[in-house]
Amino acid sequence: MTDEIAPVPNEPEPSLPVEADSSAERYVFQPAIDIYDTDDGLVLRADLPGVSPETLELQVQDNKLTLFGRVSPHAPDGARLVHQEYGVGDFLRSFILSDDVDHERITAKLTQGVLRVTLPSVQKPSPKRIPIDVD
Amino acid sequence: MPVFRWGRAWGLGDLEREVDRLMHGVNLSLQGVRLARQFPPVNLYELEDAYLISAELPGANAEDFELTIQSGVLTIQGRRDDPEQVPEERYRRQERFHGSWQRSLNLPERIDEERLSARFDDGILKVTLPKLAETPVRRIPIEGTDGPRAIEEQPRD
Repeated sequence: MTDEIAPVPNEPEPSLPVEADSSAERYVFQPAIDIYDTDDGLVLRADLPGVSPETLELQVQDNKLTLFGRVSPHAPDGARLVHQEYGVGDFLRSFILSDDVDHERITAKLTQGVLRVTLPSVQKPSPKRIPIDVD
Repeated sequence: MPVFRWGRAWGLGDLEREVDRLMHGVNLSLQGVRLARQFPPVNLYELEDAYLISAELPGANAEDFELTIQSGVLTIQGRRDDPEQVPEERYRRQERFHGSWQRSLNLPERIDEERLSARFDDGILKVTLPKLAETPVRRIPIEGTDGPRAIEEQPRD
């Protein structure tokens, strides 16, 4: 396994707009992901239930890919939580990309709470023959 | 069929309350990777006039799963397939759930099953269970050896 993409260990991102409503306490979760190889690069899939295209931010800076999805409460105000198997909060996860990933051609799509990011490899130019002059 | 009983079976809520308490005054607390113990994870909320069941089903389409109700048990079941059929050896990391799933949930008492409704948006299923209106107290006549004791007031004398 090469290191073309590596999840960054837990760390809150102070630069991201988490502080929008500083009075309300917010949870941040790391979403579950899949990463797999394709013929021309990698694909990253992340489970982001409750995130819509309007509330998702995906950014690449230097070699770091960060996804941040904002989730609004699942129940109206005043609802009493009777049973809980999941916590409601925002999603955040970062990845280190290697230089083999072509940053300019990264594309992403969000469908029913699943994000799919395509990370194409840099296209290596085909080998060029160097003519050798003969005296 | 294993039927689910409501409660804090895994102490998750308690744990989160504890985190909540520890993080008091801090507006951010980071949780680990969310690997559900059961798929899909389900929350139950009580509102004034209804209960709300929410379930996280990212990637599903409404036609991929089935919602049935029988004898006070709500069953949701479906399959979560890989739409791209990626061969196993291509995965570098696989944290997301794949395969078929089923949850059977005991419905709270006194709900109006006829008016149950469900929505599915952005990978979250929400089922609204309206509460039944309060019925007036009804007196039940008690029969004894001296015949039915009438509910009517006996003249006092």
